[in-house]
Amino acid sequence: MSKDVTQKVSNHIGGKDLITVGIYTVIYIVIIGIFGALSFIPIFIPLTAVFCPLIGGIPFMLYVTKAKKFGMTTIMGTLIGILMFVMGMGYWVAITGLVFGLIADLVLKSGKYQSAKRTILACGFFSMWEFGNLMPFFVGREAYLAQLQEGYGAEYVSTVSSYMPMWILPILLIATFIFGLLGGLIGKAICKKHFKRAGIA
Amino acid sequence: MRREFLSSEQQKKGIHFDPRTKLLLILIISVFVLGGAGGNAMYFLRPVLSLVPFAMLISVGRGFHAALYIIAYTVCYVAQLILLPILTGFTNFLVLILAGTFCRFLPGFIIAYFVVTTTTVSEFMAGMERMHMPSKITIPLSVVFRFAPTVLEEAASISDAMKMRGIRFGGKKSSKILEYRLIPMITCSVKIGEELSAAALTRGLGAPLKRTNICEIGFHFPDVIIFILCGVTVAWAIFSAFSI
Repeated sequence: MSKDVTQKVSNHIGGKDLITVGIYTVIYIVIIGIFGALSFIPIFIPLTAVFCPLIGGIPFMLYVTKAKKFGMTTIMGTLIGILMFVMGMGYWVAITGLVFGLIADLVLKSGKYQSAKRTILACGFFSMWEFGNLMPFFVGREAYLAQLQEGYGAEYVSTVSSYMPMWILPILLIATFIFGLLGGLIGKAICKKHFKRAGIA
Repeated sequence: MRREFLSSEQQKKGIHFDPRTKLLLILIISVFVLGGAGGNAMYFLRPVLSLVPFAMLISVGRGFHAALYIIAYTVCYVAQLILLPILTGFTNFLVLILAGTFCRFLPGFIIAYFVVTTTTVSEFMAGMERMHMPSKITIPLSVVFRFAPTVLEEAASISDAMKMRGIRFGGKKSSKILEYRLIPMITCSVKIGEELSAAALTRGLGAPLKRTNICEIGFHFPDVIIFILCGVTVAWAIFSAFSI
């Protein structure tokens, strides 16, 4: 596979790129946080797998217009994971953040950071980090529910566990991906409609 | 006063803690109090850990904030202990959400508040460098701390402006919230971010050299106390996990 267009821009991640990563991480987390804050209401816990990828697609699609170097999306995923972990979402999200950030990065790289389809696919994979937030419900479920019960009481836990049965795991995992793709499409449309016009995409 | 997360001026009075100690504290409190790790075994240690933010605030001479915190925490804690067994139904749920959430989030929130208001960006970077964290993580992370207040501020201003136009939850044009609030916020933030990026590059952030730092950080006696406390917490958590 020979590259016709050799990019003269260095592939090394420089200071400017790192700042870009930081800036988009903040935007991403603030936007996710708007919906994430709802998730102490039981019904919104499974729904975060729908809303967060859907909304997160907008900043992500704008972000990939700036992140043209390998590693940037991985760093963003890792950072989101670390910050979510510090905010008390459990350690799983730090792992999923890194893993799905890396997968998204590889997908972007396979499209040479140009392909529109690959970008949307990457958005779908990237959105799966969100699944790490829900992971404690499935891995070590008993301990987590007991711990919730201690903090929020039995009534809350029974409501939550009825919304989050074990069989919902694969559904949520697929949902994050599908809605990530949808979010990517929305993000792409919004990029076209707003951000290009504003001169930032 | 401008809102900022990591302060730009060094703290003048009180006990200085090493930035690494502060990070450890955030980690421990977010894992054991906010994240609720350790389960029932941590039942007695959790209030003790929750006292740490109080002590920290006192140590830098913010008695007023410390008092507010301890009162709020005690009220919630007592409410949980006394009211929950009595109440049922909706009131139970309400108390649960309010008191439970507060008890969980308040210590973490206060310690984070303490850390970000007493640590300078330079101290943070120096601490990170001593821990051999790669700059690929520390630079974006410090940008996050620097930039988050700006984004929140922008979001608040845009929210005000859109309220005036009737674009709010329950308003006439609530369907347009997404487009009319999110998009301007992103646009604004990105533009400010570009300026921030330019400013940082002018100061030589992109230079391919090892950066020096004039901050003198190191572990002293107060740090040791915090380390012992954290060590005991972790040891207790491991011990109880294995003995059950």
